[in-house]
Amino acid sequence: MNKPGWIGQIEVGNPFNEASLYKWGMVIDQDLCTGCQACVTACAMENNTSFVGEADAGYGRTMHWLHIERFWDGVYPNVKLTSYQPLLCQHCERAPCEPVCPVFASVHSLSQKTNLQVYNRCVGTRYCANNCPYQVREFNWRDYAPPEPLPNMFHPDVTVRRRGVMEKCTFCLQRLLQAEDKASAEGRVLADGEVITACAQACPTGAIVFGRLDDPESQVSHLRTDGRAAVLLEELGTLPSITYLKGGSSYGRNR
Amino acid sequence: MVATAEPLERAHPVDAEDPREHLMLDPRPRGEMNGMVMEAMHTSTWKFWVLASFLGIVVVTCLIISWGYLIAEGLGVAGVNKPAFWGIFLVNTVYWIGISHAGTFVSALLRVMKAEFRRPFTRAAELLTTFGLIQAGISIFMHLGRVWLSYWLFPYPNERTIWPNFHSPLGWDFLAINTYLMASTMYLFLPLIPDLAMARDRSKGWRKVFYRILSLGFRGTEGEWRHLRTAMTIFAWAIIPVMFSVHTIVAWDFAAATRPGWSSTVFGPYFVVGALQSGIAAVGMVVVLIRATMKNMKYFIRPEHLDALGKLMLVVSMTWGYFFFQDYMVNWYGGDKFTKMLLEFHEKGPMGWMWFAMLIFNVVIPFATLWSKKIRRNPALLFTIGLLINAGMWFERYIIIPTSLTINRMPFTWKVYVPRIEILLSLGTLALFILIYMIASRLIPLVPVWEVQEGQVAHGLRKVGKATVKTVSDIE
Amino acid sequence: MSEKKTFLALFADIDPAVNALDQLREHGVSDEDMNVISGIPLTDHILGRPKIWSNVPRIGLGGAVAGLLFGFFLAAGITYLYPLKIGSQGLFNGAPSVVLFFEMGMLGLLASTFIGVFLDSAFPSYRPKEYIDEISDGKIAILFSVPENKEAEVKDALDHLGAESVTPAEKRSL
Repeated sequence: MNKPGWIGQIEVGNPFNEASLYKWGMVIDQDLCTGCQACVTACAMENNTSFVGEADAGYGRTMHWLHIERFWDGVYPNVKLTSYQPLLCQHCERAPCEPVCPVFASVHSLSQKTNLQVYNRCVGTRYCANNCPYQVREFNWRDYAPPEPLPNMFHPDVTVRRRGVMEKCTFCLQRLLQAEDKASAEGRVLADGEVITACAQACPTGAIVFGRLDDPESQVSHLRTDGRAAVLLEELGTLPSITYLKGGSSYGRNR
Repeated sequence: MVATAEPLERAHPVDAEDPREHLMLDPRPRGEMNGMVMEAMHTSTWKFWVLASFLGIVVVTCLIISWGYLIAEGLGVAGVNKPAFWGIFLVNTVYWIGISHAGTFVSALLRVMKAEFRRPFTRAAELLTTFGLIQAGISIFMHLGRVWLSYWLFPYPNERTIWPNFHSPLGWDFLAINTYLMASTMYLFLPLIPDLAMARDRSKGWRKVFYRILSLGFRGTEGEWRHLRTAMTIFAWAIIPVMFSVHTIVAWDFAAATRPGWSSTVFGPYFVVGALQSGIAAVGMVVVLIRATMKNMKYFIRPEHLDALGKLMLVVSMTWGYFFFQDYMVNWYGGDKFTKMLLEFHEKGPMGWMWFAMLIFNVVIPFATLWSKKIRRNPALLFTIGLLINAGMWFERYIIIPTSLTINRMPFTWKVYVPRIEILLSLGTLALFILIYMIASRLIPLVPVWEVQEGQVAHGLRKVGKATVKTVSDIE
Repeated sequence: MSEKKTFLALFADIDPAVNALDQLREHGVSDEDMNVISGIPLTDHILGRPKIWSNVPRIGLGGAVAGLLFGFFLAAGITYLYPLKIGSQGLFNGAPSVVLFFEMGMLGLLASTFIGVFLDSAFPSYRPKEYIDEISDGKIAILFSVPENKEAEVKDALDHLGAESVTPAEKRSL
């Protein structure tokens, strides 16, 4: 919530202060999602995602931090498409991937309330990936070095991971930290919509909405209380930071 | 009319078995037994050297070179993917830890239970433990993404002031397996000291230097025996809970996870029993091989030992069947939809043959064969049954790890696991295991002769009624 | 008081050896001057000898306590040295800590028991010692010291009991 008393003394980036500002979250409207994969592309470009080649991709080793899941009912020609489901790291408040890492490479950020993956610390036991019920963690199976001059496209604020480490969606942490630093230098709180993730930025229909869950006036907080809102695998009690707004035929649109 | 009473046929003729069939009732002078064991160590035919060389080549190509390639290229050359992030490396790790439980069972649990038949093969079983744990350690290093940083799992003060996470099941794994490895090596070494002293007294040349250093100057004074035996008693009692805890902790790597089919509360004891099953079957195999290939071992390892091991194999197989059914039944009856889909995938998926093979090898074959004394006492049959049980247990771990990982709560990610370089590396670790066991059999006395003689001194024959029975005195 | 000389008497069986110990006591050899070296362990009950003190259980217990303290350090100490927030668990958890206490306690117990054997028996020691190779072949040797004047009668008594040999004990490297 907006705390006027915090302006000028904003506690940002203190990993030990649970009371520090900002809790980032996301709402994905499956009714608006067209499955165009612009978010997937934007995420890959923003975060220096490796391209694994055809063979590895067919074997379940794509490095997409965000992928679109599509399901269908029925058999051709009577196929009914259900909603597209963009799936990314849910940044669970009670993440199952965090307690199982033996070297503390998967921890919870106290200042952004997101789940962090510390590339430098990871030794590659892949227990976190096994324990993620959403299966959104990716592993660097090889060193996927792109041929020159493609490395020029890499985002300078994001590391390029080497083989043997886990990676996953970070809610574009580099954008969040930059924005938070800028705001705290200017002595103010971040406004809603001032910083958004690459996928939210690229989405043409505005299906992905990103913002502060700790601000009750933000768009994400409003959308979270929508009648169509649901979280994935709620029965596991992981408390994800991403809420899905159910779409598809149950709400009147037949594809 | 008085019916003439026919003399009752004696259902069990007295002294049907020659008591000298039992090792404990067939004592030979200790000097002679020592000589037999030393001769077994020194006698190696050309077949031994051919096999050792072959295994050496397999180790260099399938283990060392392949592992180097794996480290250089990354885990992409293995068959692991999403969602089967763990594959044959973990299967091998769990399998070798399972094998390692055999040694502790034989030398600790049977010692505590005062089962006299354990005496000639405690050391052969303990070697299984130490060498099996080495293979388990190798397998677990192989599966790490950045193995060159694996020392980060060790708690040491560093300039980043960060420590490992010991609230993670893998952290407990690290501690438990290391504890068990150290404890079983120490437990292997303690009863070995008097036999090393014996070897020292009977050797010359480089062997004498080797045994002299390793036997630490042991003579056999009252004080030395007292300290040794006190320590062995403490070890025997204490290593049993360690043994149970190690495989339980390994089981918790899976049970503590959220995956369907994995988060089963029975996994702890289920894995321990599974470990005992593959372990005792492995002891049976090793004992048959030692008896068949090493000189003079037919005196020490007799059909009665194979008989006892066969009975153990049957009992543990029944226990394993109970635990397997416990897990299966509860999952089938009250499991959520993904768990039920997983059970169906186990039986009807591409690896369904493995599931049926597991049940046949682990339950059907032991039940069908091991009740028969004749089969148990036949070395070739016991070896085959042991081999099939080991194969069945390897299949069981394969089903639990990569096959169960395929089915999870996000159907879009389901993918079948196809092993690649893991097969070569598995063969390499197996070859290494056999090779170091073979080398050990020529370097250290494989039979604890002092324990055999101790047992023989304690055993005697007594007449009870018309029968001559075996007695064991408690001279400890 | 004449010089005491050390002898090694070799027996093939337990009963003659135990009788020999009694005989030696009758000839005035005290229990401290006797030591039985054998190829299989013979308890003090069997030999009729005073109970031997062993520090191994105490050392083991001390090690177990040290292990428990180390387990406590791993469970709680390092958590507070560098606290890292894990989403679904507190900083210190009871159930995982039990595992750590148990494992480290057991490791401490077993490692210190092992070291206790080394300490108590003064292993490894490669100094020359009194020993006959036949001991590892199952013979029972009695190492005893008698004053020189009693040497002959003691030798005689032991020979009567069936000693295979009674020789002056020489320290030799093993």
